[in-house]
Parts: sequence; structure tokens; C-alpha cells
Amino acid sequence: MNSTLIIQSLMAGLTNSFVYALIGIGIAVIYRGTRIINAMQGDFAVIGGMLTVFGLVSAGLPYVWACALGIAAGAASGLLIDVVCVRPMIRRQADDEAFLLLTIGLAFTISAAVLYIGGREAHLLPGIGGNGTVEIAGAFMSVHAIFLIAISLLVVCGLWLFYRKTIAGLSMIAASVDPDGATSIGINVARMRGYTFVLGGAIGALAGILVTPLISVSYQMGLGLTLKGFAAAILGGLTNPLGAVLGGLVIGLSESLAVVGLSSGYKDVVALTIMLLMMVLMPNGLLGKAGRRGG
Amino acid sequence: MALEVETLEAGYGPVPVLRGVSIHVADNEAVAIVGANGAGKTTLVRAICGLSQATAGHIRFHGQTITGDAGHRRGEAGIAVVLETRGLFGELTVADNLRLAEHTGRGVKRPQGFRPFTLGDVFELFPIVKEKLATRVELLSGGQQQMVAVARALLLQPRLLVLDELTTGLAPKVVQEILSVLTALRSRGMSLLIVEQSIKLAAAMTDRAYVMSLGRVVHEVGHGEWESTMSNDAISKAYLHG
Repeated sequence: MNSTLIIQSLMAGLTNSFVYALIGIGIAVIYRGTRIINAMQGDFAVIGGMLTVFGLVSAGLPYVWACALGIAAGAASGLLIDVVCVRPMIRRQADDEAFLLLTIGLAFTISAAVLYIGGREAHLLPGIGGNGTVEIAGAFMSVHAIFLIAISLLVVCGLWLFYRKTIAGLSMIAASVDPDGATSIGINVARMRGYTFVLGGAIGALAGILVTPLISVSYQMGLGLTLKGFAAAILGGLTNPLGAVLGGLVIGLSESLAVVGLSSGYKDVVALTIMLLMMVLMPNGLLGKAGRRGG
Repeated sequence: MALEVETLEAGYGPVPVLRGVSIHVADNEAVAIVGANGAGKTTLVRAICGLSQATAGHIRFHGQTITGDAGHRRGEAGIAVVLETRGLFGELTVADNLRLAEHTGRGVKRPQGFRPFTLGDVFELFPIVKEKLATRVELLSGGQQQMVAVARALLLQPRLLVLDELTTGLAPKVVQEILSVLTALRSRGMSLLIVEQSIKLAAAMTDRAYVMSLGRVVHEVGHGEWESTMSNDAISKAYLHG
């Protein structure tokens, strides 16, 4: 087997890893702040990607403003879901399973809405930094993929600082860890949950914008992204954004090695089998119990 | 008057627990709520602190009606609580738990002459809290957690401190330490409302008490009446432990 082929495959795997990681980070953020398992994180990506395409192509906005529109749309969707669905359900003392069912239902609803409004067509965005490539050890990586990895790492560092150093971040953790305790020290728990959905929606939309130059955005892209993002988040312990990156790397790189060693048809089987094995052997995720509290 | 509760009714969802409870706490007074398990003591605390909504009756704090105010507004008004569950954030450090309360405490309305609690003040009251600043709360012992919970409540700059079952499960030495802190707090003019199962501890900590049973106040222990109440077998057997 040719070493350049392996390096090329690993680079593709690395790019995919960070795509899964970005979705997983959003899932981890929402779970950490609300204890809700969000099965529609991939659909925030669809909203972000679609709105950015709309801003760039139909509204003629500059690329940066179109991206801002996409991220704002993801954040607004998160807030809307909290205000319209989650708050009334909490007032009616809904169980945890009800929220999972809600997000599954919303995933299908958003997919259908995007199909109705935007049609069946898939759309591409130009890559950040153009469509050029960079040669690394005889293999090629797109400039956009390098930006995607760098932006993902910036998001993880930003979240780490946000949750550890800011009153808003600490309050969001406090509100989910002990809502009564948080209320008793003056934290508005409902508002913190709203902020968490806004943050999760914005990260999801950012993921969509970064993915759209690699795999075109369409109404049915959400579910596939959610599944891989889930795998990454679960491997990372479900609450830790850094864990989601490590989880994304395990899934993405094992997929790429499966493509080289076996065939592309087996990549999901290999990646998800590795995930299952690791979950059995490390039930608290790659970072262990202590790592679940980090990030 | 610091706190006035009038004919209060509250519960969990449709299940009523409090049935017309009336109590009051004067400025700089320490009052106990005593009673057996299931008497409604914790529900009363939760209603006063806005964690359970009152279905009837009134709660006034320094003359202002706060019955319908959201729970997070009660802290801003000057009521701090140490919940039976402590309400600490186990995965955060002691420093972060204190920092969050300090942040809210800066916005609390303070009467003229009120000397705010500083981190230095709470470290003086609880030296162990200073030593454990960088430790995650979930790694502390029960007694240490309770001290962090009281320290955190003080940083909210309360005029009324509500303590729910503060001493339950703690070693006698820790209980003594907390008792001496409560005495120090009273010397600073703070009102205290203390829920306590042990009548002996309640007598040591407070001036007077309300005895609760089945969601009602069934007896009042006035100033100077602790001795006679503790020796009254009929009251002790009917409503109290220890």
C-alpha cells in the first residue's frame, strides 16, 4: 500500500473528524447546559448552511455577512425552540424522554420545512480562503479544510474559557447542575437555558457553514451529521467540547483507515464498531469521569 | 418586620402541603421552624425563597410583597437560603461557587449602614473554605460542603438568612463551629430563619420557634419559653424529635 495514499486518506479523515467534532460540540454544549439530548443538532447545520447560501447567492451579501446571517439564523432557531417548545414543556413537568422525542420530531420538521421552502437541490458554498490546496508530505489538503480545523480548535478553546472564566458560562453550568441552587443565588435558570440553546444553535450553524463547501447542503443532510456528531459527543463523554473533538478524531480517522484498508462501503461499520467497543470499555467516554466535567 | 408570612398555602403541583401557615421574623431575630418529618417545613422554606409557588396567602419582606416574585429575584431582594440539599454546584470549584454568589450580591439592595460581607469575612468565619478554594465541591466532606453553602449564602449580602436542616448528618464538632458562626452573624444584625429537626439545637440557635405539623403551625414557642417547651412531654411526643 502506497504511503501517500494513506496520508491522503488520513487528511481526508482529519477533515471529517472536525466536521463530526463541530456537530458533537454543539450536542455537548446543549446537553451540558440543559441535560437535553439534542437529536436535531445536524439540522442547525442545515439551517446555517442554507441561510448562508441564501445570503450569498440570492441576497448578494458579502461572504462574511452571509456567514453572520447563517450563524444568527442558527442561534435564533435555538432560542425559538427553547421559547416555543422547551419552556412550556418544563412548566408542564415533562420527563427527560419527552425532550428527546421533541428534538427527534423537530429534526424531521426542520428537514420537511427546508424541503418545502428551499427545494430538493443541494447547494455548495465557496471555501474559506478560496478553493486552493496545500501539499503536505506528498498529499493534498484543501485550504478550506485547514480553516475548518483551525476554527474548530478556536471554538473549543473559546468554550473552555467561556465555561471556566465568565459569569455567564459558570451560570449556565450552575443552572443545569442544580436549578434550585442556581435560583437561590439569583441565577435566572430559564434564561440560562435559553442562552444554551442560542449557543448550541450558533455552533450548529457554524458547522453547517464550514461543511457546505465540502459536502453540499441539502434538506436531508441533518440526520447523517447528527448521527456522526452523536458518536463523537458520546465518545467524548457528552458534556465536554474537547471530548467531542477527540471522539470526532476517533470516528473520522477510523473511517478513513477503513476506506484504505478495506473498502469505502465498510467505513461506517468500522467506525461505529470502534465506537461501540470503546463505549463498552470506557463508559464515561475517552476522558473518563473527571473529563466529563471539563471543557 | 423582616419577614411576614400570612395564611400561606403551597405544595407540589396539585398536592397541597402548607395549609394557611402564618409566621413572622423581626429584624435581627432568630426564629426556628421545628416539627417532625413531613410537617411541611421544607415546603415553607421553598415558598419563602420562591422555589415553590404559593397558591394562596402573602409573603412580605421588609414591607414589600414578594409572594409572586420569581425565585431568582428573592436573592436580589436580600433573602439567602441554604437548602437542605445545599444547592451547591459539585462540578465547579469552591471559588467558582463563591464567585457566582458574589456577582449576584453586588446587585442586592442594601439598607443604609449595612456592612457587606467580603471574601475575607467568610474566610475568617470558615478558614477551611479558603484552603479549599481550588477544590471541586463534590470532593469535599459533608461538613465542608455545608460551610461552603453558608459562605456562599453570605456573599449574597442577605438581610434574612434561611437555613434548612443545616446540621443534619454533621459531626458534633462541625455543628459547634456552625453554631458559633450563627452567633457571629446575629451580632451583625442579620435575621435568621432556621429549620431544625432537633429541638435542642433549635433552642441553642434561636430566640423563639414555630412548631409545625401536617402543613400547619400548631404551637408557638415564645421568648424565654424554650425550657418549658422542651420539658413539655405532650408537645415533644406529639410533634418533635429529640
